Amino acid sequence: MNEEQVWLEQARQGDKFAFGKLIEAYQAPVYNLAYRMLSNAGEAEEAAQEAFIRAWTRLDSYDPAHKFSTWLLSITSNYCIDQIRKRRAVLLSIDEPLPPHPALHSDNHQGPEAQAIAHEQSDLVQTMLNQLSSEYREAVVLRYWYDMSYEEIADVQQTTVSAVKSRLFRARRQLAEVSQGSEAMPALALGLAT
Amino acid sequence: MWAWIRSLYTMESDMAHNETYYVMMMDALDGELTAVQRTELESHLRACPECAREWEALAALDTLFRQAPLLSPAADFAERTIGLLPNRRTRVWALTAVYTALLISGVIPVILGVWLISRYTPVLTNPDLLQHVWSSMQGTAQVFATVIDALLAGAGRVVAEQPMILGLAMLMAGMVFLWGGVIQRLVVQPRSAGSRN
Repeated sequence: MNEEQVWLEQARQGDKFAFGKLIEAYQAPVYNLAYRMLSNAGEAEEAAQEAFIRAWTRLDSYDPAHKFSTWLLSITSNYCIDQIRKRRAVLLSIDEPLPPHPALHSDNHQGPEAQAIAHEQSDLVQTMLNQLSSEYREAVVLRYWYDMSYEEIADVQQTTVSAVKSRLFRARRQLAEVSQGSEAMPALALGLAT
Repeated sequence: MWAWIRSLYTMESDMAHNETYYVMMMDALDGELTAVQRTELESHLRACPECAREWEALAALDTLFRQAPLLSPAADFAERTIGLLPNRRTRVWALTAVYTALLISGVIPVILGVWLISRYTPVLTNPDLLQHVWSSMQGTAQVFATVIDALLAGAGRVVAEQPMILGLAMLMAGMVFLWGGVIQRLVVQPRSAGSRN
């Protein structure tokens, strides 16, 4: 039994301290998924908290045959998709500039020029993600930031492997079309490569 | 004619060709290509400038997304989230109480119904009582039928003798409908659009 399984077992018995260890271990992946889906630091933090609270209250329904991270990210993405649907009814335009994540301004290891490029790249990534539908965005985020296999993404999205392939295919095609129309894209990509 | 058909065929085969290599490019990005397929794709990309451009765009995107950082929440996130966790035992007790209350609220009416039926069945099945209930129901139905008959006959006579009244009523209904639409467009919709801003 590894450390995570021990924490899970203790958390199932109502040990908040053990669940706190799981929160510490998974806070970055959960928060990152929420931020990439919602594009707003405040909403992402709320979504991440809600995901952990839901996981805590539903721990009895967690099947240890699956990875805990997959189950947790599935809860997070479902919550984010619900939020996007609710938000869609309120927002008039998705093209409004969104505030960049605070962490993107706190990188002190890079020079000002490198920081500026990093910010631009990050903004570009987020702007491009915002062009995708929530299902496509989710598939892309899980593929690139979590390096999940098709099967794992299908597990999170509760769909088939072929549907995941198709979503990734269409999402990338859409992103490529957007990037070919963007003048900033080739320069930023080159900046990354160097 | 023949040239036109040939150009159509060429266009279709070009699209199929692009689609095939596009799928291969996607598989290449996900590391799903076999060595043979990879060689085939590479040699195709050297020969086909259109696919080479597509590949360049996809590869740049792939690099951009792979290098994007994993963002972290504020330093005290875990601590604050632990503070928000509800007590699991309290929740279990609350859920048990709710389910018990639901069960009791379902069982009590059933028991009460069974008791009432067993208690009053002999009285309710008395032939004299049933006879009286039946005759009073018939009487009530007759009263309703007479009233409805009189109303319909009166309305029919008005329509037959004074068709202008019917025309006027239809005209008024039309006016109400029309003005309702105008008010909807001029008053209700702009206000709701303004509230979104």
